[in-house]
Amino acid sequence: MALLEVEDLRTYFKTRSGDVHAVDGISFSVERGRTLGIVGESGCGKSVTALSIMGLLVPAARIETGSIRFEGRELNRLSERELEDVRGRQIAMIFQDPMTSLNPTITIGTQITETMQRHLDVSRDEARKRAVQLLEEVHIPNARQRLDDYPHRYSGGMRQRVMIAIALSCNPKLLIADEPTTALDVTVQAGILDLLEELRDEHEMSMIIITHDMGVVAEAADDIAVMYAGQIVEQASAEELFDHPEHPYTEALLGALPQLEGEGVRQGRLTAIPGRPPDLLNPPAACRFAPRCKYAGTDSCTQEPPQLREIRPGHLVRTAHPASERVAVVA
Amino acid sequence: MSLLEVKNLEKLFPVKRGLLIERTVDYVRAVDDVSFEIAEGETLGLVGESGSGKSTTGYCVLQLLKPTNGSVRFMDKELTKLSRDDLREMRKEMQIVFQDPYSSLNPRMTVGNIVAEPMLVHDQGTRRSREARVRELLEIVGFNPDFTNRYPHEFSGGQRQRIGIARALALNPRLIVCDEPVSALDVSIQAQILNLLKDLQRDLGLAYLFVAHDLAVVRAMSDRIAVMNKGKIVEMGAAEQVYTNPQDDYTRALLAAVPVPDPRRMRERKRERRKLAHAVSL
Amino acid sequence: MAVNPEEMEVRQDVVRREMSEQTFEAGTAIRQASLWRDAWRRFTHNKAAVISMVFFVILLLYVIIAPIVSPYDPNAVNFDIAYQSPNLHHFFGTDEFGRDLFIRTALGGRISIGIGFAGTLAIMIVGILYGSISGFVGGWLDNAMMRFLDALYGLPYLPFAIITLAIFGVVNFWTMVVALTIASWFTTARVMRGQIISLKENDYVRAARAIGARWHRILFRHLLPNTLGVAVVFIFLELPNVVLGEAFLSFLGLGINPPNASWGSLAQDGNEQYLSHPLLIVIPSLAICWLILTAFFVADGLRDALDPRSQAAA
Repeated sequence: MALLEVEDLRTYFKTRSGDVHAVDGISFSVERGRTLGIVGESGCGKSVTALSIMGLLVPAARIETGSIRFEGRELNRLSERELEDVRGRQIAMIFQDPMTSLNPTITIGTQITETMQRHLDVSRDEARKRAVQLLEEVHIPNARQRLDDYPHRYSGGMRQRVMIAIALSCNPKLLIADEPTTALDVTVQAGILDLLEELRDEHEMSMIIITHDMGVVAEAADDIAVMYAGQIVEQASAEELFDHPEHPYTEALLGALPQLEGEGVRQGRLTAIPGRPPDLLNPPAACRFAPRCKYAGTDSCTQEPPQLREIRPGHLVRTAHPASERVAVVA
Repeated sequence: MSLLEVKNLEKLFPVKRGLLIERTVDYVRAVDDVSFEIAEGETLGLVGESGSGKSTTGYCVLQLLKPTNGSVRFMDKELTKLSRDDLREMRKEMQIVFQDPYSSLNPRMTVGNIVAEPMLVHDQGTRRSREARVRELLEIVGFNPDFTNRYPHEFSGGQRQRIGIARALALNPRLIVCDEPVSALDVSIQAQILNLLKDLQRDLGLAYLFVAHDLAVVRAMSDRIAVMNKGKIVEMGAAEQVYTNPQDDYTRALLAAVPVPDPRRMRERKRERRKLAHAVSL
Repeated sequence: MAVNPEEMEVRQDVVRREMSEQTFEAGTAIRQASLWRDAWRRFTHNKAAVISMVFFVILLLYVIIAPIVSPYDPNAVNFDIAYQSPNLHHFFGTDEFGRDLFIRTALGGRISIGIGFAGTLAIMIVGILYGSISGFVGGWLDNAMMRFLDALYGLPYLPFAIITLAIFGVVNFWTMVVALTIASWFTTARVMRGQIISLKENDYVRAARAIGARWHRILFRHLLPNTLGVAVVFIFLELPNVVLGEAFLSFLGLGINPPNASWGSLAQDGNEQYLSHPLLIVIPSLAICWLILTAFFVADGLRDALDPRSQAAA
């Protein structure tokens, strides 16, 4: 049994003009000890997915249908109190903006021990000792002295490490990282990703890492799910996805990236994807990527929504025109 | 003769303390002895992390911030010594595209007025000729010219960047400082705007000072690159050279830290990165 | 050891962008609603604000129209019909001189509200000018102007108004306006300065400078128009203050001379007879309350409507 199983999750937001289908029927699972990367551009629903799992949605949002099973337990049906027990203890989350994730009026030490004292039966002294250990584990220098510092004395990268320390304080089985490095400088980002990998190996923790950056998922994820317009359009192991991208959107996304390595980068043109993502207020009845897809024909693409199917073992794709099935165009 | 010659540019920001009467206790060296040149039609990429001083350098070049020291010679004129009126004249030749599509356009002005403003400010043409030029500019940047009466909030980030670019082109400048022009955009839109900037450069002979933190983006746009760290340029050279054969430790660490969309290659890079770990600060 | 802000390692651009995005990802195709349209919608959903606005307008219409359509002479003395209770001929009854109260209250309203608007306008002009100059120029001038303002804050508003009236010697519409304005513009100035300072940071202001726009264009075309929302809220906040101030001064006997009356002086007239004929003071007092309450609720509604961070359940 997988650690986390999400099935047909639909999260809708109530607005004055109707329901926005932010997440519209996604399913995935996270195995023990593995990292799932959810990648997509803004508005695709990846953050909302994470918030749905954690039960941290704003009041205007609701989980319309779907099941979220953690260790076999249906999270959707838990009361707020039971969910609070799971949050922090079994599933932890770290957020994007390190500048606002920490309370500026509470010391770092207290913010770490707070979580422990909520979930674990430890004395304050024990909690503080553990807090120092955690800070050392995330490579904060002079941990003991810095325990009683306030957040403003920490740089952005260090704050993110503190967030990770807080997240790990109760030894969660699953860590959800929502764009954990997006706001950080690239050298700091590398450090954080290394740290996450190190910790994951040591604690045998599973991870979901949410990002818009294809490079980050290539670095950090074992399995990848590509989201577009509230749906998963492709899902495979990391190597398989980058070796054989099947969905036109995945291909286009990779083609739009400027390359760091390689030749002729300056002279070449990037493959731009025309148009914009669809309105999730009234999601298209057919393929959601069709208006921007260069393979879309007047066939099934514009008439029925493509289903997610297994094109190769372990490789799912939701399109009528996967790369390996395209007939080569003769010049 | 270069279009732009920057020599020993320095920008210090005072650090003030005190409640009732503020005293200056120290200075932050945002730009520390920076020198570079840009030729006509060339792109110099200025890359660095947050706090490296790259954006400040761009603002100093345009005299939007007054440099504390140093010389900025543009079209053979020393910008730091020009009178206010002369500087205003020079502004026609050097423009800027901003990073944030949401705050770079006045929400209470129509798209047409925003793009026409540069011409209005310099008393160019008649209302009719300006309108025509606005339409022309919007077409050039791929924005529907029928929308001149709409307001910025009605458009997406990518479209707003196009409006900003049209505005920058209005006076036919020779140099455009691009300050992180695509950082706020999604990857698929990023590519559209970068392609547009490339096309404009080719068609109009523009020179760019391209300021960004994204190394891959800078590589796609630049002929030459200057790497900044803590206010100083630590390495500068032809783009290919800097990327394939970096000389400076910081440059090497920076390049090693960038993730690339290739899991196998990433494993190799991680190994290389750990070897360089001493250059990366926590 | 404090962290050098240069070493924050965080991209402020990303932080700023994330803060300004809506609270849910809804795809770029859903337009970011304009400040005004969204504000209008929020305002119209605020029942208290809408009802108050309606009543405010009703009051305005009353003071404007009633004297025009009324058949009575507000100054006609007729002791035969003095002290009448409200009836079909005289909706509010009559006063001790037999004058119709309905029309007198309306005329009083014209003066009170007139002073209110004029005073508010004066406060806004002085406040905006002072605040804008201070915020726009910045530096030592801003410092000096704000310290001066701090000192002014200590001035008690009403005694100063009284002193001003005493200096003028005569109490008419304009002297009253000046008296009430003189010590009431400080908060407006401060708030406008804050607005200008924060608006100055926007890239479109930098863009205007990069184009070569001169300072007056930047101030009048780029900065001030974007303070409109705040200014409108302030108008509805200051108006009741001025009206109340005038009423208070009139009640003290410093009001406009008869036969012109404001609500305050009407109340003062009725004060002497409130035990026997309470209506003479109750009616103008109610009118003042009506104005103040409606204006405050409208101001409150406007402020909520224009605050982009208020999380109304969509």
